[in-house]
Amino acid sequence: MSRETILGDTWLIDDLRLAQFFTRLAEVFASYKDKDHGSVFLSQKRCASILLPRTPSTLAYDQNQPTEPPEPLPILIRATNGHSKSRRNSKIKLSTVVQPTELPGFFARYAEVCKTGMVALKPRDRSKRKEKLKKRKKAAKEES
Amino acid sequence: MVFIETSQEWLQRSAQLIESKPLSTRTTTKYSISPPRAKSTPEPSSTAASKVTKRSTAPRASIELKTYDPVSGTALKYRTTKAAEVSRLILALGTLGRDMAALPKEEEQEGEDTAMVEAPDAAGEDGEKDAVGKGGKGEAPKESGSAPGGGKKKKKKGKK
Repeated sequence: MSRETILGDTWLIDDLRLAQFFTRLAEVFASYKDKDHGSVFLSQKRCASILLPRTPSTLAYDQNQPTEPPEPLPILIRATNGHSKSRRNSKIKLSTVVQPTELPGFFARYAEVCKTGMVALKPRDRSKRKEKLKKRKKAAKEES
Repeated sequence: MVFIETSQEWLQRSAQLIESKPLSTRTTTKYSISPPRAKSTPEPSSTAASKVTKRSTAPRASIELKTYDPVSGTALKYRTTKAAEVSRLILALGTLGRDMAALPKEEEQEGEDTAMVEAPDAAGEDGEKDAVGKGGKGEAPKESGSAPGGGKKKKKKGKK
């Protein structure tokens, strides 16, 4: 990733960068679609190291003044498919840097990708609601 | 290392951690699928036997959110298996993302509203309870009456 894209000078490049990230993240989720085991790891943290070189002195400075950054900082998003050690060859590592201005848009799309990707979670229990409806109808009938 | 009961509390405590250690704190989301267990679920007392067997054949997935600060060693975790919670959790990640980016705080209202809308539906544990209720019809109305307020999140009554 070049410094230019990281700093977000060109919107076109930024869009492409995020779009690419989401496409590849969706691929990672899709690769687990019919599998019965596996993990996807997503992480996020402040991306200070790009703007400030992480020398001991700047680190110490930052730790001393933790809540006073001069201006909003980008955040770093990482994703992996959890392959390590013996499966290192098939490990997928994705990362992207999201500018503060892009955050709302990013998380909206992030939510979409995660919702469509995390298919093996327990679905919402609709039978319960149906049951309740039935009961309510029944009760209404009895009353009338 | 602590597992926190509600996503709301996890969000609050994570935000505090990020505020105090903004440089080193990170939030990790782990989505993991594990093969179905051979044994039946640990609640054999449930009368919803068909439900239990159905669930045990499909792979189980869970989401684990972890906010970790390597400097102080603090780790805050929240875990769920419900698909209905995903959007709320990503929203929480977005809120934490804002904190990490050192953007000014959003109005808290937004997040809570979404939680409100979704909370009554996200009642996985109540599913079994309800299934039990189905067996005995006499009890049923009581069960359904208490259900809306008792949806997982400690919204109105702080049931859980």
